[in-house]
Amino acid sequence: MEKVIMGNHAVSYGVQLARAQVIAAYPITPQTQIVEMLSELCADGRLKATFIKVESEHSAMAATVGASIAGVRAFTATSSHGLALMHEVLHWASGGRLPIVMANVNRALGPGWNVWGDQTDSLAQRDTGWLQFYCETNQEVLDMVIQGFKIAETVLLPVMIVLDAFVLSHTEEPVNIPEQDEVDRFLPPYQPQFKLEPGEPHSFYGLVAPEHYMELRFKMEQAMEESIAVTQRVAAEFAQAFGRSYDVVEKYRMDDADLVLVTAGSITGTSRVVVDELREAGQKVGLLKVCMFRPFPVAAVREALSKAQKVAVIDRNISYGVGGIFAAELKTALYGAPHQPVVFPFIIGLGGRDVTPESIHSIVAYTGGHDAPAEPIIWMEVRR
Amino acid sequence: MTSHIIVFQSAADMPSLPMSVGTTLYNKTGSWRYVRPVYRDKTPPCNHACPAGEDIVDYLQMVVDGNYEQARQRILEENPLIGVCGRVCPHPCESDCNRTQLGGAIAIHALERFVAGQPGARRLPQAEKTAPAGAQVAVVGSGPAGLSCAYQLARRGYKVTIFEALPAAGGMLRVGIPSYRLPREVLDAEIAAIQALGVEIRTGMRLGQNPVRAGSPPGRDGLRLEDLAGYRAVFLAVGQHLSRRLGIPGEEAQGVLPGLEFLRRVNLGEPVQIGSRVAVVGGGNTAMDAARCAVRQGARQVTILYRRSRHEMPAIDEEIEETEGEGVKVQYLTAPVEVVTTVGKVTALKCMRMKLGEPDEGGRRKPEPIHGSEYSLPVDMVIPALGQEADLSFLDSQIDSARGLIVIDAAGATSRQSVFAGGDAATGRSAPSAVPPRRAAGPNGGGRPERGAGTVAYAIGSGKRAALAIDRLLNGQSLEGFPALGEHVHVAARDVDPRVVPFEDINLAYFSSEPRTPQGQRTAAERVKDFQEVNLGFSEREARREAERCLSCGTCNQCDTCWLYCPDVCIRRRDHAAPPGPGHTAYEFDYDYCKGCGVCAQECPREAIDMEEELKWRR
Repeated sequence: MEKVIMGNHAVSYGVQLARAQVIAAYPITPQTQIVEMLSELCADGRLKATFIKVESEHSAMAATVGASIAGVRAFTATSSHGLALMHEVLHWASGGRLPIVMANVNRALGPGWNVWGDQTDSLAQRDTGWLQFYCETNQEVLDMVIQGFKIAETVLLPVMIVLDAFVLSHTEEPVNIPEQDEVDRFLPPYQPQFKLEPGEPHSFYGLVAPEHYMELRFKMEQAMEESIAVTQRVAAEFAQAFGRSYDVVEKYRMDDADLVLVTAGSITGTSRVVVDELREAGQKVGLLKVCMFRPFPVAAVREALSKAQKVAVIDRNISYGVGGIFAAELKTALYGAPHQPVVFPFIIGLGGRDVTPESIHSIVAYTGGHDAPAEPIIWMEVRR
Repeated sequence: MTSHIIVFQSAADMPSLPMSVGTTLYNKTGSWRYVRPVYRDKTPPCNHACPAGEDIVDYLQMVVDGNYEQARQRILEENPLIGVCGRVCPHPCESDCNRTQLGGAIAIHALERFVAGQPGARRLPQAEKTAPAGAQVAVVGSGPAGLSCAYQLARRGYKVTIFEALPAAGGMLRVGIPSYRLPREVLDAEIAAIQALGVEIRTGMRLGQNPVRAGSPPGRDGLRLEDLAGYRAVFLAVGQHLSRRLGIPGEEAQGVLPGLEFLRRVNLGEPVQIGSRVAVVGGGNTAMDAARCAVRQGARQVTILYRRSRHEMPAIDEEIEETEGEGVKVQYLTAPVEVVTTVGKVTALKCMRMKLGEPDEGGRRKPEPIHGSEYSLPVDMVIPALGQEADLSFLDSQIDSARGLIVIDAAGATSRQSVFAGGDAATGRSAPSAVPPRRAAGPNGGGRPERGAGTVAYAIGSGKRAALAIDRLLNGQSLEGFPALGEHVHVAARDVDPRVVPFEDINLAYFSSEPRTPQGQRTAAERVKDFQEVNLGFSEREARREAERCLSCGTCNQCDTCWLYCPDVCIRRRDHAAPPGPGHTAYEFDYDYCKGCGVCAQECPREAIDMEEELKWRR
């Protein structure tokens, strides 16, 4: 069924189709519509789930953790400061190896109070042990929520589905909503490998001394690494079932491209238009969309950029003192690779400032016009 | 000591998350506990205060749940006169109610009336038939004490005969209380229900000498105690039907009519010559009723004279307000000294102003006359309502009396074998020889008035007490073990801790101030025109709202607070479908895992959970 829906509701439909059993959430702009719709679905019985109202995002994640360890499929959604407040519990979810799925609507952090799009909130949680997927369209949002549960339940790590504030969250696009029985075939009920069981109680999350702590972390990292292949396998199954293909990265018009734009999130859509225009004009420009940020798909990125001369990374985020986070990750991935393109690290669109086709043209122009970046961080459209 | 530390050889051997490999079933963490929570219902102040021994907190919960007939049956176990008590009981339960400070006491009397007035056939609850074959009991007096005793005996299979001196049954309920407070059809229906159990009421059968009264044959002999020798037991509930005298000159004049006599005539529909300007002397309910009846009978001006101040006035507050609302003037701190007459007829009442002196033995400040303050109140009728006494002239030497009342013990038994007594004629004061009442005896020994004495509820409780004692006696059982006079006797007792819950033990985090629901009332201008009922009772909505204000002091009402708060998930609801209501059977503790943190007891809004030393349980 095709419907024109906003990105937030694409999340809600995905959660409904995934038959989440517990949803705990606290409202925050621009996420609120996700759980608002879910609460209605729970209230009128269309979704047989328990909706837990809580007093903070910390509690939302704690309740989700509790539900997940009790053996049910659990979901929450948040944004920005809410995600920041969850930080401690994010570790309990991942260290507890709980297959929770969370939607985070990218929003800038205050002060400089701001509700608009900016990726710094989710990227700041990169070391918590959560898988992170950045979405370009509302269709991808819905599809990734459904796939997210399957990936999470396979590798036993939590999954964060990330979408841009307003550009996706509040913008309506045509979305194909799969039938419930199709999704049921793709995503069977969650079968926990371990759970709180009154008749068979175990001690969970107690003290782990130095003798064993490191091994637990080693196993988490193994699961993280495994999740790349798992994501690709799940994407293949999804493509077979629904006819829409996903991967950890997507290459767009990359054949023979000398200059490659690297994007994540909705800027990708804008960049596609610019790439098409430049290709029409005969320029050898391509686009690499990074879908999966955690774990960082090093091999896929290296392979995609194995022929590029220049790489322009467009970051709508900043790690103060370093610069754009995707750029930094990309450089790390390329270190020691046999082919080394020149990396141009752009920062643009912080706090929801529009990133237009003209902005992308400027980035391409700068990259084409320089042999190497003139400064460690290339600030676009900033009034100095 | 063997080591329980497991060292894994490789990451592959380990679980993927920090969890125990084996179960933790062996680890009963309840062993850490040194205090344990226990569900223990305690006595709410209302139940403690009710002289009739009603389980108020229990039936209020039934009202909350909309189970009105169940509530009615619950009260009827203890008290067959609920329509009566819902109207005329002075409700000491409300005086002690812990809700008082949070919007006003629960309107228990109005709720009792609501329950009593439920549509549907009046059906008195069954009881086990314990009466020995053919056992007959005589009850003297058909007031609330006699009716209560007869009811409790009849439902156990006794053949009961009530002897009533007056031409109609009901005692003071019939002749002392006007119909605007207690409609006759309410009283008639409740008496009829008791008669339907097989109780025979013989009216016009006075125990002792008949008084000389206008319109009746003079000095005719009534019943004697010996006439009742054929009954296995006798319950004396003759009440107090003699008015105290003013003791001032002119009291014999035409136009002076004692309050009880006046009310009796009005209530029995006998002709009364009413004055145009009436003075009522006294501050009790009889004075209020006499004044209000005088208004309804057409008196132009009615004045109540009371020798103390409003603060000391014994009448029910609501009744004082209603009386004043009907145009009756109350003169406080004044006392009559002489009835002024002309040709044998009252023309005025000479009075003297009073002031309050030192407290007397009852704790009330004693009025003292102010010399030279005499004044004259022009009236043509004087109604003294200074209190009443029992006519005990029928007693023989085998039955002890003291201070004008029959002496009874904790079982309601008199000094004569198989003769019991109760109601106003017996219960006013506990005898020095009887089991001492809960409240410490005053300086004059056991002669202090008992809690609730003189009220309809007390009479009902005393009749029930005697009935239970008679049942034991006639079954050859000992009369030991009755609670002291003034304490409760329950027919259907719950297992409840006798500790009374004080307001301080209510968890105020759970309750906010909510105003008491007022009962509808006819306007004063309307109600003085007739003898129709003044108070209109509660609608169902009002009753539910009012009952929901009940704090359920000390009484688990399955609010789930403990169950929700237990941080160790050690409280189980036994049965979600269990009928709600008082009783701790709704939950159970899992002592295998309860660590005795006390959160449940601390959070319980109503003090229904105790923490007890574990040693006491482990021995």
